[in-house]
Amino acid sequence: MTGSPKLERRYRRVLACYPKAFRRESGEEILAVLLATAAEGQRRAGLAESVDLIRGAIKMHLGLSRSPRPVRNAVRLMCAGAVLTLAALVTVLVTLSRVRAGYVQDPDAGPWHTFVLTQIVPVLAGAPVGAGVWLWLAGANGRGYSWARPAFTAFAGLLTTGLLIGFGEGGGEDALPSTWPDETAAAVLWLVGLVAVVLIYSEAASPYYQRRAATRAATPANGTGR
Amino acid sequence: MQEATFLILTALADGSQHGYGIITEVQEISGGRVRLRAGTLYTALDRLRADGLIEVDRQEIVAGRLRRYYRLTPEGTRRLAAEAARLQANARAALTRLTPSGVET
Repeated sequence: MTGSPKLERRYRRVLACYPKAFRRESGEEILAVLLATAAEGQRRAGLAESVDLIRGAIKMHLGLSRSPRPVRNAVRLMCAGAVLTLAALVTVLVTLSRVRAGYVQDPDAGPWHTFVLTQIVPVLAGAPVGAGVWLWLAGANGRGYSWARPAFTAFAGLLTTGLLIGFGEGGGEDALPSTWPDETAAAVLWLVGLVAVVLIYSEAASPYYQRRAATRAATPANGTGR
Repeated sequence: MQEATFLILTALADGSQHGYGIITEVQEISGGRVRLRAGTLYTALDRLRADGLIEVDRQEIVAGRLRRYYRLTPEGTRRLAAEAARLQANARAALTRLTPSGVET
């Protein structure tokens, strides 16, 4: 079966989610398989099929198909770090009214707008950036870039600093209301980062980074290093 | 070894196959139970190639479309044989223990 031009266009649109280098190498081949397995008269990509392709594309972007188990687990942890970071953002938004109610009743607390500017806005602005950094480093480590390990270690160092500062402030006068999950979230994120660092520097992970670096050196034109 | 991986390697055990051929072979081997989708198949093929268990045998253009054939490497053959032996031993142990209790096999 060759499939209709419309179906082919739609499959190509879904395949655009894959990394460029993978598309260059296997895009036409997958397209041929997709068209061969399409039902008679099929006009659009099925939902399950699209989900399967997108899942495959995510795995390729994160290097999950090729990396050894410790790196794969580290990448999954880094993705969890991104999700937790966004979860912290959602928690802040959901609990904001409760926090405000507790805050304005505290006679020792400063103006609410100052609290919003110094405590809430940084979280709202920083969380998407933080989640982006987690995902970016997950992809870079998954694909075995040699700079990705020290970069993630530096990021984990920043998390450690943030955690220590958070705990340092926790006992002071500026302590946040007890409903505030900031320190717990920071501690969990730090732990996730720490385990990921241990995994990417494990004995089984190092040869992968070295091999990928050697492959890239041998094929400099291959931008995504697949 | 995951079942999909085992079935893909089994599909290649008696000769090279292209992507669509692997899907139909896997469906036949599993009695229609496992129907690989293209995304799953090519993620698995990418991993198996990286692990050195399969390799590209040849490629050709059929009706203007690329068709790439894959085959087992010696390491892939060895790993498949080892996994098949392991599964066989497990299945034999299970059947041996089930038989005395009167469960029909």
